[in-house]
Amino acid sequence: MFQSFLDNVWLVPVYALLGGILALPWSPGIIRRTGPRPAGYVNLIMTSLAFLHSTLAFPGTWNHPAKEVLIPWLSTAGLNLTINLEISSISVGALIVITGINLLAQIYAVGYMEMDWGWGRFYSLLGLFEAGLCALALCNNLFFSYVVLEVLTLGTYLLVGLWFSQPLVVTGARDAFLTKRVGDLFLLMGVLGLWTLAGTWDYKDLAIWAQTAKVDPTVITLVCLALIAGPMGKCAQFPLHLWLDEAMEGPVPSTILRNSVVVASGAWVLIKLQPVFSLSPIASSAMVGIGAVTAIGGSLIAIAQIDIKRCLSYSVSVYMGLIFIAVGTQQDEAALLLVLTHALASALLVMSTGGIVWNSVTQDVRQMGGLWSRRPMSGLAFIVGTLGLIGFPPLGSFWALMELADGLWGKHPWLVGIIIAVNALTAFSLTREFGLIFGGRPKQMTERSPEAIWLMVLPMMILFGFVLHLPLILQSLSLLPNWATLNKDVALLLIWSSIFGCGTSAVIYLGNIPKPIRLPWQGLQNLLAYDFYTPKLYKITIIFGVAQLAKLADMVDRFVVDGIVNFVGLFSLLGGEGLKYSTNGQTQFYALTLLVTVSLLGVWVTWPFWGVQFLDLVF
Amino acid sequence: MQLQYFLLLAAALFCIGIYGLITSRNAVRVLMSIELLLNAVNINLMAFSNFLDSTLIKGQVFTVFVITVAAAEAAVGLAIVLTIYRNRDTVDMEQFNLLKW
Repeated sequence: MFQSFLDNVWLVPVYALLGGILALPWSPGIIRRTGPRPAGYVNLIMTSLAFLHSTLAFPGTWNHPAKEVLIPWLSTAGLNLTINLEISSISVGALIVITGINLLAQIYAVGYMEMDWGWGRFYSLLGLFEAGLCALALCNNLFFSYVVLEVLTLGTYLLVGLWFSQPLVVTGARDAFLTKRVGDLFLLMGVLGLWTLAGTWDYKDLAIWAQTAKVDPTVITLVCLALIAGPMGKCAQFPLHLWLDEAMEGPVPSTILRNSVVVASGAWVLIKLQPVFSLSPIASSAMVGIGAVTAIGGSLIAIAQIDIKRCLSYSVSVYMGLIFIAVGTQQDEAALLLVLTHALASALLVMSTGGIVWNSVTQDVRQMGGLWSRRPMSGLAFIVGTLGLIGFPPLGSFWALMELADGLWGKHPWLVGIIIAVNALTAFSLTREFGLIFGGRPKQMTERSPEAIWLMVLPMMILFGFVLHLPLILQSLSLLPNWATLNKDVALLLIWSSIFGCGTSAVIYLGNIPKPIRLPWQGLQNLLAYDFYTPKLYKITIIFGVAQLAKLADMVDRFVVDGIVNFVGLFSLLGGEGLKYSTNGQTQFYALTLLVTVSLLGVWVTWPFWGVQFLDLVF
Repeated sequence: MQLQYFLLLAAALFCIGIYGLITSRNAVRVLMSIELLLNAVNINLMAFSNFLDSTLIKGQVFTVFVITVAAAEAAVGLAIVLTIYRNRDTVDMEQFNLLKW
């Protein structure tokens, strides 16, 4: 039975896409009588089908070699584009995670979007995302991964721009689209460049090619850098990270997806391309550099945020940065494990805070407080999400970070230092958020704050259970790194850094230190709070440059190109205007003209007979 | 060398006629200048007929025709001038620049 499910596992994206399409008729303009709710239910059913299908297919892949499904797409002269799907335990596992989190986020959205009419649009876009992510997980071809990434970029634009009557949403959606698009376009350059080098886009063939490839180091470095740029935008890495901050204007349920899964789509491609990156040491170090800068910068910024959603979005950048480090140092396994643990923990955190926003209205953590006694489930979910995200045994991310740090220990000790520091800073920022939301005394906005309705708490609690059970699940699949071979010093360092981060933060934000906290250097605090002034940085560099170029091109077009063509017309016009005065109405002038012309003609015709003698005579 | 003198005289007369034709302000003087032109042509014709075609004297025949046509032309010309004068009370050529651009 598992086998038949496995053979048809390519249906999973189709379910999701179908769910998305079926949700559309309940847009307010089409079915006017029933209200929008059936859109959500239909989508939920399709997502459940997708989840069930992938779960049932999973046992069939376990301990079996990966299978390939080939679907011919386009065959022209010299180019055969075949969609090849890889059905392995990793890809089917990714399907389970994607559809599972989608299912939970959609149940959550049934509660969260209660007072909203836009379910048709919202759920169809969630369906599109789910389909795209599933297709990406199955897809074993760089070209079609790129296609899916672009579709997801468009999806992000539409989903962030769901409530387009808000001006910040419109700018946020714009930035999300353009920033990711720039990365994707660089990726396209890389994809095309890779074709000329390797002659294949199949990840497996690329890996085989990369083992023996002899290529010009400069060329492969440039191609690899272009290939990095795509995931760099997708994963919200420095300096293409502003969009994730602004994408927090979208609805919370989509944020769950974005924080946990969508940003991982870039990481997925990155991990798949790891053999190619290993060809270029410069690209690998660039990846590590980008990841390290993002990890440190993002975790510092996250500490200085006051918006409950933005506190978390920077942590997403941080963890994607760690994945960049992992891929840059050729540790796919650690990267994949980190993607998994981060997805679950991050989704749990967003679900918990989303519920707080839902009935506390404000997103400003300075206006919250004292929710612990009244909202224990959200609080517990936040704690478990935090512990699942930072290195805290026995929860998931500890193992991922352990594996990563262990792999770096011998070769790049300074990267271990970065991981420890990032872990401590993330622990600090998440505990700070917990302290501000759940600790202290209730503030005006959180005076009366009941727990969210069951539709939001249920998925949160299910995910809560998953995060708690993740180590057990991983152990039963023997995916956890072997404790005996791991470096105990690293483990101790990680644990201590977590405890140190959480502890310091708890002392500051749960203790009696007067708030708001002010750093001795206000400039530094503002620098972090305003995200290193990235919007200004964009504005004075790229946006300014492009705007000036556009103005220049516009002026050249208006004045030079248009001018030249208009000048021809103007010249004819002026010529006519000026020459008409030759018809001056004086008959005698006409006679003169006639005479002069005839004389000149006569001179010209008879010149050969007397011209030479005439010239001799004159000169 | 006789022919050249006649031709030069005719050319001089023609040029004088041209000068009169394009500088006179009086329309009648313009017609007079045209007469000068035609007479210059006649001298030419007579000279050529004498020096080059003294037997058949086709030039003289031409001259007779030219004189005839010139008389008719002058008559029509004066009629036109009179018609214009009747309408505009002037024969100044510089007042007749109505048909311009």
